[in-house]
Amino acid sequence: MNRIDTLPPEIELAQLLQRCAARDSAAFKTLYDKTSPILFARLLRMLRRRSVAEEALQDVYVRIWERAAQFEAHRGRALAWMVTIARYGAIDLMRRERMTLVGDDALDEIPDESASDNTEKPNNFDFCIGQLNDNTRKCLTLAFVEGRSHDEIARLTVNPLGSVKSWIRRGLLSLKECLSSERQTT
Amino acid sequence: MKTSNRELLDRLAAEYVLGTLRFRARRRFERWLLSPQVGALVKAWEERLAGLEPHLPSIAPPATVWRGIETRLKLRKLGRASVTRYLAIAASLLFFAMLGVLAVRNWDETSVTPPVQLAATQKAFIEENAETIYWRVELLGDNRELNLHVQQVHELPPGKAFELWALTASGTPVSLGLMPTTGDHHRVLTEAQRAALSGAKQLAVSLEPAGGSPTGLPTGPVLHVAPLSPA
Repeated sequence: MNRIDTLPPEIELAQLLQRCAARDSAAFKTLYDKTSPILFARLLRMLRRRSVAEEALQDVYVRIWERAAQFEAHRGRALAWMVTIARYGAIDLMRRERMTLVGDDALDEIPDESASDNTEKPNNFDFCIGQLNDNTRKCLTLAFVEGRSHDEIARLTVNPLGSVKSWIRRGLLSLKECLSSERQTT
Repeated sequence: MKTSNRELLDRLAAEYVLGTLRFRARRRFERWLLSPQVGALVKAWEERLAGLEPHLPSIAPPATVWRGIETRLKLRKLGRASVTRYLAIAASLLFFAMLGVLAVRNWDETSVTPPVQLAATQKAFIEENAETIYWRVELLGDNRELNLHVQQVHELPPGKAFELWALTASGTPVSLGLMPTTGDHHRVLTEAQRAALSGAKQLAVSLEPAGGSPTGLPTGPVLHVAPLSPA
């Protein structure tokens, strides 16, 4: 395991993506070297199996190369853009294959609170997520961080499927309301 | 389902970003991403939920992953090759040239064939009507390559681009790149594009910001949908 304590500077990643858009393969290799350990860790978190995550990582970088021209530096952060491509890729794979990779230990690994450093948090995100009850927060985290489906979350948290669905639905709504009201007041 | 139901769409956008839609619902929803309205809802949810993104210890992938990417994207041709690689390429070219000479010698002169050109297997006309055809699109050799011919110039607003999409069997559009505004163009398709085309029955052209869709899925209005037919 190779721990990278500091994230690559955003501006550098954005510039590398722009060079990738101009079909600069050396820039792509640099981008890969700087970001693949982050995206691989993210994919492993969702897909669990190394072989599956390795294949998914290939797909993700093929997509990044193909879509580099679509990244607009002014509209978002480069790493967040790449993480989203990775996350959607993993979710697509999990839903398509109906992968059930959840071990019994999965729940222990879920932190109660989000600890985001990779992406820009909305203002007062911590406050708003803190307003949700524990069940709701856990369901949202299992879905977003682990890519778990409603059924898997119900099984993992030993709760009825209907409750899980409704917590998620209401949790998302509360989060939206809280974030928009906080945004207005700030 | 009426896409005018903003609340329902917003709920679906939230669950799309969260990842809890089932596979078919996810695919269906991605079709609605063609609408800029839905694209904006998704973008807003991506921003809201970004706070859930965990900070994980990095894990270096094995070197085989990069080699696989290089092979899939044929990057070695583009990158700086080492001297030994050039020598290897030169040696193999020489080898094949010699094979070619030997083969031609053994053939009757009339049986010598021209260099292999991929045959067009499917085509589509991006058109307004039978009289106004903007582009002829040809897929060559089992979707390995793409030819684009501009037949009539399509008016393009400033700061915009036309983007070509394969509408896959599952309903997710996959970008085939930007549409040229003049002339004939040829491009080699990636594995992902080939896979998307293997079950596709239609192509679509959407209006995007210059440089193409920022999301990887159509964000602007879909201007044309054209069926693919055997060439």
